[in-house]
Amino acid sequence: MYRKEYLEKKSMFADLIVEDMGDGNISDSEINESLERFENIDLDDDLKDTIAKKGKEFFESGVYIKAPAGKKYETPFELDYKTGSKENEFNDNNLIIAEKDSELNLVVDYNNEDYKKVIHNGLSRIIVKENAVVNFIKIQRLNDKSQNFDLNLSVIENDGEINWITVELGARETITKNINILKSEGSKADIKSIYFGDGERKLDLDYTVKHFGRHSKSEIESRGVLKDKAKKIFRGNLHFKKEAKAADGSEKEHILLMDKRVESDSIPALFTEEDNVQGEHAVSAGQIDENSLFYLMSRGFTKVEAKKLLVEAAFNPIFEKIPLNDLKGSVMNEVKRKLE
Amino acid sequence: MSENKVDLKEIDRSIHDKKTDKDYSNRAKIGLTPKIIREISKEKNEPEWMTEFRLKSLEIYQNKPLPDWGADISDLDMDEILTYIKGEGEIQNDWEEVPEDIKNTFDSLGIPEAEKESLAGVGAQYDSEVVYQNLKEELVEQGVIFMDMERALKEHEDIVKEHFMQLVPPDDHKFAALHGAVWSGGSFVYVPEDVEVDIPLQSYFRLNAAGAGQFEHTLIILEKGAKAHFIEGCSAPKYSVNNLHAGTVELFVKEGAELRYSTIENWSKNMYNLNTKRAIVEKDGLIEWVSGSFGSKVSMLYPMSILNGKGARAEYTGVTFAAEDQYLDTGAKVVHAAPHTSSNINARSIAKGGGHAFYRGLLKVTDSADHAKSTVSCESLMLDNDSKSDTVPVMDLNTDDIDIGHEAKVGRISEEAIFYLMSRGISEEEAKAMIVRGFVEPIAKELPLEYAVELNNLINLELEGSIG
Repeated sequence: MYRKEYLEKKSMFADLIVEDMGDGNISDSEINESLERFENIDLDDDLKDTIAKKGKEFFESGVYIKAPAGKKYETPFELDYKTGSKENEFNDNNLIIAEKDSELNLVVDYNNEDYKKVIHNGLSRIIVKENAVVNFIKIQRLNDKSQNFDLNLSVIENDGEINWITVELGARETITKNINILKSEGSKADIKSIYFGDGERKLDLDYTVKHFGRHSKSEIESRGVLKDKAKKIFRGNLHFKKEAKAADGSEKEHILLMDKRVESDSIPALFTEEDNVQGEHAVSAGQIDENSLFYLMSRGFTKVEAKKLLVEAAFNPIFEKIPLNDLKGSVMNEVKRKLE
Repeated sequence: MSENKVDLKEIDRSIHDKKTDKDYSNRAKIGLTPKIIREISKEKNEPEWMTEFRLKSLEIYQNKPLPDWGADISDLDMDEILTYIKGEGEIQNDWEEVPEDIKNTFDSLGIPEAEKESLAGVGAQYDSEVVYQNLKEELVEQGVIFMDMERALKEHEDIVKEHFMQLVPPDDHKFAALHGAVWSGGSFVYVPEDVEVDIPLQSYFRLNAAGAGQFEHTLIILEKGAKAHFIEGCSAPKYSVNNLHAGTVELFVKEGAELRYSTIENWSKNMYNLNTKRAIVEKDGLIEWVSGSFGSKVSMLYPMSILNGKGARAEYTGVTFAAEDQYLDTGAKVVHAAPHTSSNINARSIAKGGGHAFYRGLLKVTDSADHAKSTVSCESLMLDNDSKSDTVPVMDLNTDDIDIGHEAKVGRISEEAIFYLMSRGISEEEAKAMIVRGFVEPIAKELPLEYAVELNNLINLELEGSIG
């Protein structure tokens, strides 16, 4: 269903365990043992069902990656999920494990070879153990005929850390959920998200953090552009469970509205059961700042160029965290092309 | 509660001779029927269209499901509603039966003896007509109409017919339909063009209408350029054996008019408060909501402003205080439906003693609302670890040339602040109370003095012995 070239790359990452879920090199018991960590977490029943169903259906696709204890891999491990002309659908069921004190950088790029409709159905489960770090970059730039359904679920243990960068540029319809369970003391989740809605694109984006651990920390920051007849729903959910003392969470969404016909829904929610926490959210929405536009145009930029520059400026704080220059450049160009 | 059921026959009797007959206590429960509705309407001598309106609403009510979101209202005994619809004036007739905590609250708030009884729903209603007499004359001279809804329906039928349940139609939700079928009492205010009413109009003085306070209907119409301030309810807890409140408030603010609508809702803690409030604001008009929610077991209250004319504005200042056993689900809804409209929402909530405070808001900007501006700010204070505080604001934006900002915060009283106050010789308890009072200051300062004083007393009372 997808290229296995990444398996060839693994020799560059000493001791990193990378296997295709379909090759049967990882025993069922090992997988099941890892998945047990997702069993007793507080999720809605229907979401549990969806995960169970996806996990079962796509059991033999996707990758298994495990960073052994104490190993730090600074070079990003890239997964280029490019669909070819023979595929109608594309499923990936990824299981990522960062053992104690390890560090892992992952980049997943979903794209098509051609202009044929593909349904992408993804499930990624991530376990970040004590003091480990996972930096996960997900780029979705499927063609405008495709559909994207992606579910990401992480469990973070003591002082562990997950840092997401998600970039949603493609697909006619996209529904994604990104749920992070800050299970134990000092665990952290940071989500940086970029979306670009143009044409008739529809986006339903859900970013959730559940604070269970004391001193757990989270930050959700989303920046988006909507133009033409794009529709978007942004759901940001911060849950502070009882006994998550001294937890700290914040969510922010900035929306640039570039067309009268767009539809933008935002639901940033806070759910608090513990008094000793700090939680906040903020949303701002509006057009490109006219003064900046005017200034740039007075400097000889055309309106389109000026708009490109300002969108680039809005996205840059997140884009510059993408560690691969080629990828960063090509994603940036894609955004600019959409503004023409 | 079911043993208090009364018989249907009583409906066509005078509300004052209710004690004469006792054989109704064992009759079977009977739900609302068109026949009962007809009888209510007939007893009130209502015009035919109102009877029809009630019947239509009843039909909608019977076919609509209960809302499947928000508060759990499964405890609510809908058959019980019948008890007080027909039992208007079926007041508690013994002061001794009023629960002790309610009485104590009255004492602490310094409510005069006569008013206490009225508020508790015992004895004769506190007749404040006299108090209002002089004011009324002044108002009449200006052409202002201020009377109860029943009378307005007779004396100003045309105005009532044109506006009644046009903003909150019976098919809005199940309790709006119920309201349409059984509404009773409430205030009617009409302010003619360019008339400014200086003194606040207070519905409190109108509570003597039978059945008011349960399904009361408030209809306020401000003509072009008119100004008024209306105050609903009062800060003392109103006690009633009946535990559903489904009132409706409809506010029509015409071109350039300005209306301030202040409420302190402090129902007794057995009450389900499912009130619907809505305002429509025309060109350059202004609606200001000042809203305090304290009492009740469950509240679901979302005052809505429809900014329908160019330059219309809405302001919402609200405080919600959820204590033990309370679930208060409140928030503001604003629809920007015209260009250059603006709204400003400032909501604060406090949760303590296991209470659950929920802010649920909606900001909708339609595609005809160019240059709309809105700021929404929600702050929640958690006073302990047993309580819950949730914030779910929804923003639905359908055009681009707008400026929207929203922020929300949740947290507890800062320890530094308490430490600082204690270092100044203030006790810990008092320090916390001071901080809470500071937190609700934005609403307190919007209220007339006597209400602000009562609000402060109320907060002290709520905090007493529970904090620290």
